[in-house]
Amino acid sequence: MKLHRTALILVAITLLLFPLFGQGKQERQDTLVVYAYDAFTGDWGPGPALVAAYEAEYNTKVRLVGSGDAVEMMNRLVSEGARTPADVVLGITDDMAGQLLETGLLRPYESPYLSEIPAFLHFDPTSCLLPFDYGNYAFIVDSQRLEEEAWPTSLGDLADSRYKDKIILIDPRTSSVGLGLLLWSIEEFGEEGWLTWWEAVKKNALTITDGWSSAYGLFTEGEAPLVISFTTSVVYHVLNEESTRYRALIFPSGHQATIEGVGILAGSPRQSEAERFVDFILSEGQLEIAITNSMYPTNASTPLPPAFDWAPKPEHSFSADRTRLEKNLERWLTEWTEVMSR
Amino acid sequence: MRTKGTIEEGRFYQRMALPALVVISLFFVLPLLFTLSSAFIGPGGGFSLSPIKAVFTDPYTLRVMRFTITQAALSTLASLLVALPGAYLLSSYSFRSKSLILALSAIPFVIPSILVVLGFVIFFGNNGFLNQLLMALFSLSEPPLKILYSYKAIILAHTFYNFPIIMNLVATYAMHLDRRQEAASYTLGASKSETFFRITLPRLLPAIISSASLVFLFCFSSFAIILVLGGGPRYSTMEVEIYRQARMVGSASAAAALSLFSILVTSLLLAAYSKSQQRLVQSEAYKEPLLLERRPAHALGRILALLYALSALLFILAPIASVIVRSVYSTSGFSLKWYRQLLNLERASSHMGSALAALTNSLAIALTVSILAVALGTSLAASIERRKRGKGALEMLGMLSMTVSSVIIGLGYFLIASRLHGGASLSYALVVLAHLVIALPFTLRVMLPEYRKIPLSYTNSARTLGSTTGHAFFTIELPLLRGAMVSSAIFAFAISMGEFNATLTLSSSTIVTLPIVMYRLIGSYNYQGACALGTILIIVSALVFIATGTTKGKKHA
Repeated sequence: MKLHRTALILVAITLLLFPLFGQGKQERQDTLVVYAYDAFTGDWGPGPALVAAYEAEYNTKVRLVGSGDAVEMMNRLVSEGARTPADVVLGITDDMAGQLLETGLLRPYESPYLSEIPAFLHFDPTSCLLPFDYGNYAFIVDSQRLEEEAWPTSLGDLADSRYKDKIILIDPRTSSVGLGLLLWSIEEFGEEGWLTWWEAVKKNALTITDGWSSAYGLFTEGEAPLVISFTTSVVYHVLNEESTRYRALIFPSGHQATIEGVGILAGSPRQSEAERFVDFILSEGQLEIAITNSMYPTNASTPLPPAFDWAPKPEHSFSADRTRLEKNLERWLTEWTEVMSR
Repeated sequence: MRTKGTIEEGRFYQRMALPALVVISLFFVLPLLFTLSSAFIGPGGGFSLSPIKAVFTDPYTLRVMRFTITQAALSTLASLLVALPGAYLLSSYSFRSKSLILALSAIPFVIPSILVVLGFVIFFGNNGFLNQLLMALFSLSEPPLKILYSYKAIILAHTFYNFPIIMNLVATYAMHLDRRQEAASYTLGASKSETFFRITLPRLLPAIISSASLVFLFCFSSFAIILVLGGGPRYSTMEVEIYRQARMVGSASAAAALSLFSILVTSLLLAAYSKSQQRLVQSEAYKEPLLLERRPAHALGRILALLYALSALLFILAPIASVIVRSVYSTSGFSLKWYRQLLNLERASSHMGSALAALTNSLAIALTVSILAVALGTSLAASIERRKRGKGALEMLGMLSMTVSSVIIGLGYFLIASRLHGGASLSYALVVLAHLVIALPFTLRVMLPEYRKIPLSYTNSARTLGSTTGHAFFTIELPLLRGAMVSSAIFAFAISMGEFNATLTLSSSTIVTLPIVMYRLIGSYNYQGACALGTILIIVSALVFIATGTTKGKKHA
C-alpha cells in the first residue's frame, strides 16, 4: 500500500499548506482599506510612506489596494457597488467624478481642513470628494534624446510626422491621464477638430498603454522621448535623481488642469477611522504627496520644496465643464476608440 | 446473461466518473452559463438582446474581431514558413543534434506565455540582448531592431512561441511515413524535387493542416502576449478586449457578448482540428522510422541545414536563456539582489515585496491543483475506458473546458465572485478551482492512453480470485498507472504554476501568484525582478520537460 501512503502524505502536505493561503490575509476588523491608483501605491508612489507614517502615528492598520489606473479603479468600485471592501477611495479626478458621484456610493464629509484649501479647487460642491492634490497635464521631453530645437510647442506640433514613434500615449478608457489628454484636445481643437488631431497623432505614437505607470516606465527606459504626464513630473527627477534631463513642455495655448479627490464610502463600517485618514491626507500627508506623487498640494499651508521651481507654470489652464462632460463623455470615448482602432 | 459481478463492476466504474462530473458541471459549466447569460442582460437589468446587438454592430468590436483573426492567420503563416524547412530537415536526415532539436521543440508546450513575453522583451527589446549585441558589433548609437510595440512584435512573438509545435508535429509525422511511395517515384524516373512536391507534400498535408489549425487556435486566443506587446485599441484581440471590458471598463455584458463570439469561433476551430486529427489517423499507416542519410549530399545543402539548425536553436533557446542571465546580471554586473529580494532577505518595495508570498501561493495552489487533477483525471479515465456506452460523450465532457479560452473561464468566476461576500480564502479557492478546470483535460489526455494499455484480463483474474472491483482497481490498476499519474501530476502542477489568463481575469488585486507578480513587474519595468521570478518558472517547466521525456515510451508488461 505504498501508493496509499504517498497519497496520504501528499494530502497532509496540502492541508498544511492551506493555512498559508490565509497567511497575513486575515484582516483585522480595524484595518482600513484604501483603494488608490497603482502609481500612488507603487514603487515610486507616496502610498507606502504615507501609510507607514499614518500607522505609526495612530497605531492602526491600513491596507492600500492598487487597482490599475484611476479610471480602472473607479470602474472596479462602481461594479463592486455596495459590496466593495473599500473604506476610502483616493485619486478620483474632477474629470471622471461625475460617474462615481451619481452612484451615491460616497458620502459627504466636511473636513476641518477644507477651509485651508483654496476655493477654486473645491470641484465637488457636495463634499463627497475632497481635493488632495492637483496639477496640469503636460508632455514631458527627454532632453538627451530630443534636441531642444526639435521640441514641440503646441498639441498641433505633435501631429507632425517628425515625431513618428517618439510619443507614448495612454488609453482614456482606462486612465485618468489618458482622459486628461482627450479633454485637452477637445478644448484645443473643438468638437470639429479633435478627432482629426488624434488621427494624425496616432501615427506618431510608439504605443498606447493602459495606464500612466507603464507609459512613464517606458519613457524613463528610453523607449521614446515624449510622454503625456504632468508639468510637475519633472520635480520627481530633480528631487530623487538630481537630474534635469526631463523637462515639462509648456504650450502657450494652454494646458488641461486636473484635481484629484479622496472620498469616504457611505457603506464603510469604519467611518471615524476613514475621516481620520482623510484628515491626515489633507494635512500632514500633503508634503509627502507633493514630493512623491509630484503634484501640487491643495492645502495652502503646505511649504512647497524648491524643486517645484523646475515645474513650469502654464500661462493658461482650463478645467473640464462638468455638465458638458457628463453629457458627452461616453460619446467622446466611443468616437476616440473608433478612430484609434482604424 | 448479466451476472451480479458485471453489474457491480459497471456500477463501480460508473461512479468513478462522478467526482469529475460534479467538478465539470459546477465549476466549469455553471460559471460559463453565468457568463453567457450576462450577454442577454440589458442596461435595465431585464432580458435583452441589446448587448449582443451592440457588440456586433459596433465598428470598434468588429475591428477587434477582424484584427484577432488576421493576426492569428498571419502568425500561423509565419510559423509555417519557419517550421516547414525545419520539419523537412528533421525528417530527411539524421544529424547529430537532431534529437536535441526535436526535444527542444517541445518547449513551447511546457512554458507559460508570460515567460515567452518576458524572454521576448529581454531578447528582442530596444534595450534587449540582440540590440545590445548588434550595437556593440557595429558600434551603433541607436538600437537597429525596433520590433517592440508593433504588429511585427505580435507576429514575431507568436511565431517564436508556435513554430516549434508545427515543426515537431509535422516532422514526427513525416518520419513515420512509409517511404516506399517515394522510392517507387524515383524508380519511375521522377526527380527529387518532383517527388517531393507531387508525392511527399500532398501526403504531409493533413499533418500540416492539423498542426496549423492548432497554432491558429492558440494565436486566436492569445492574451498575455497581446496584453504586453500590443497596446491601444488598434492591437487588441478578443481576449484582451474581454478582459478590458470586464475588469477595466466594468461592462460585464459587453464582455459576455464578446465571449459568445469567441467561444463560437474556437469551437468551430476545435471541430476542424479534431476532424483533421481523425483524417490524420486514417490516412497513413504508422511505420517505424527508416534509417536516414546523415546529411544533405551537396555542400550548399549542408551549410543551409547547419544554418537553419543553429538559428532555430538560437531562436528557441536564446530568449529563455536571456531571462536566466538577466536575473543575475545587469549593466552594473553580477548580483543576486533580486533573489535576495524574492526570498525577503532584503527589503523590497511594492510588487517585488509580494514576490515571496506569490511563490508560496503558487506552490500551494499548484500542489493542490495537481493532486486534485490527477485524482479526477484518473477516475474519469477509468470510467471512460471501462464503460460500455457513452465512452465518446464522457471523453468529450472531460475535454470540454478546452473549447473555452481561459480568459472566459476566469470571467465566469469573476462575475460570480463579485456577487459573493468573501475574503481571501474564497478568492484562493476560486483560483484553485479555475486551475483545476483548466488542467483536467491535460491530465485526462495523459491518463487515458495509459489506462487503455492495462488489459481487462488483470481485473477479471483478480475478480475470479474473489476480489471486488474496487479492490482490484486500487491494488492492481492504480499501481500500474503510477508513472502516468506522476507525469500528469507534474503537468497539472506546471499548468497551475504558469496559469496567467484566468487568474488575472478572475482575481482581485489581493491575490498574488508568480505569473501575476511577473506581469506587474514587467508593467513597472522591473525586468530584473521579473526575470528572477521567471527563472523559477523555467525550472518548473524544465522539470515537466524531463518528466514527460522519461515517461514516454514506457509500456506495461
